[in-house]
Amino acid sequence: MNARASVRPQAIKKIGASEIHILWSDGHASTYRASYLRRHCRCALCVDELTGRSVLAPETIPDELTIVSVELVGQYALHFQWSDGHSTGIYPFAQLRALCPCEHCVSALSSAAPLT
Amino acid sequence: MFGKRIGESDVLRALRQVVDPDLHRDIVSLGFVKNLKIEDSVVSFDINLTTPACPVRERMREEARRAVAQLEGVREVRVNLTAEVRPHVGLDRSGLAGVRNIVAIGSGKGGVGKSTVAVNLAATLRTSGARVGLLDADIYGPAVPIMLGHRQQAEVRENRIVPAEHHGLRFISMGLFVPGDKPLIWRGPMAHKALQQCLFDVEWGELDYLLVDLPPGTGDVHLTLAQSVPVTGAVIVSTPQDVGLVISMKTLRMFQQTNIPILGIVENMSYYVCSHCGAREEIFGHGGARRASEELGVPFLGEIPIDVRIRRQADTGTPIVLADPESPAAQAYRAIAEQLAAQISIVNYQMTPLRIEEVST
Ligand SMILES: Nc1ncnc2c1ncn2[C@@H]1O[C@H](COP(=O)(O)OP(=O)(O)OP(=O)(O)O)[C@@H](O)[C@H]1O
Ligand SMILES: [Mg+2]
Ligand SMILES: [Zn+2]
Ligand SMILES: [Zn+2]
Ligand SMILES: [Zn+2]
Repeated sequence: MNARASVRPQAIKKIGASEIHILWSDGHASTYRASYLRRHCRCALCVDELTGRSVLAPETIPDELTIVSVELVGQYALHFQWSDGHSTGIYPFAQLRALCPCEHCVSALSSAAPLT
Repeated sequence: MFGKRIGESDVLRALRQVVDPDLHRDIVSLGFVKNLKIEDSVVSFDINLTTPACPVRERMREEARRAVAQLEGVREVRVNLTAEVRPHVGLDRSGLAGVRNIVAIGSGKGGVGKSTVAVNLAATLRTSGARVGLLDADIYGPAVPIMLGHRQQAEVRENRIVPAEHHGLRFISMGLFVPGDKPLIWRGPMAHKALQQCLFDVEWGELDYLLVDLPPGTGDVHLTLAQSVPVTGAVIVSTPQDVGLVISMKTLRMFQQTNIPILGIVENMSYYVCSHCGAREEIFGHGGARRASEELGVPFLGEIPIDVRIRRQADTGTPIVLADPESPAAQAYRAIAEQLAAQISIVNYQMTPLRIEEVST
């Protein structure tokens, strides 16, 4: 099955300046730090178009990075402007769900596809 | 022999096990179950689906039948499938009160088969029982009337435009309202006006789906459409030749920028089917659209083979889905139309608009 946008947000909250909280339609809840999302940016500047690999050095993103603004792209993605000036990343909900950093999702991911 | 009396609530409880796979909710709480009747040991009811082109209708019917048949005392279950396409939020308030869904069909570049896809999807949806209209918004030459074998254009009656109708489809070409002899620079503003005429001055009547065949690329017509009416969503047609799909992505982004949900991507001219043995041969670049939609998290609606009969039928005015409904090409269009109808239902179901709440710490 492809990502048929089957799980979608029910509520989206920006908490303070550096956290996003999403409650999903299946009841799962995700909390993301700004720096974490910024490090996973998939925009054309942050990803090598040929290899699909990130060209971003994670340590160049400060942990204290904040969200200058966040808005919806249609009913389908979030668009952030970060405090380091970067603003080209669009985060579709399917991608945000896959990025959920909660313990449950991280362990499900690592047991399914062990990192080599 | 005394059977246990079957209660309505028992039946409804059983039917709660049947979940619409697209909407992820059971058919009872979705309000799909109608006309429930219990006569002795015979239970009958309707399931009112969100589209006659529902890809899983038979599966739902069977699941419902089985769930109720398990109840004690039930000898027979009669499931009647009905369909009612739900309107997109906002459309009831526009001048297009009878139109339930407007669906844009776009592509990154010309010649990818967008008009052919639009016409065949329209005809397939019509065949399934839906009421369908087609707005040919390409100002550089109306293709739709030719593909539908009907050159007679719309009529004007009492200041309202009556669309042409053929093969059960109502259609209109915007090219009619844009004088072809004007220099390009004048055509932009004229296109804006012409599209609005095609939307608001046309007697569309009651339609479940109005498909809009957009000009290739991005431009005035897209913007006018997005700004004039609440569009349920857009379909993007691409081919394996679209290098890295870059051009289509531009179109996709434009729809997103104008808040039009992407209902999915179609890959046209994806593979050959040998006309002798039916073997399938892939085209270089095949599968690019599927991969792109996975990366973007948008639905992939399906792929259509290269088939000369698709072109021949388009040229002679009877779309292949009508001329040869069992051909592999027609089956491909049908599968796509069903996925599209399902996506439209999903968008309409979920359309409690999202917003971002700001919470201070
Ligand atoms: N799957 C297919 N197999 C074979 N021929 C096809 C197929 N799809 C479309 N064609 C043919 O390709 C040509 C272009 O198709 P069509 O006019 O639908 O494209 P379009 O994207 O609408 O083009 P335009 O940009 O000119 O509006 C037509 O001759 C059509 O019959
Ligand atoms: Mg065309
Ligand atoms: Zn980036
Ligand atoms: Zn999680
Ligand atoms: Zn062969």
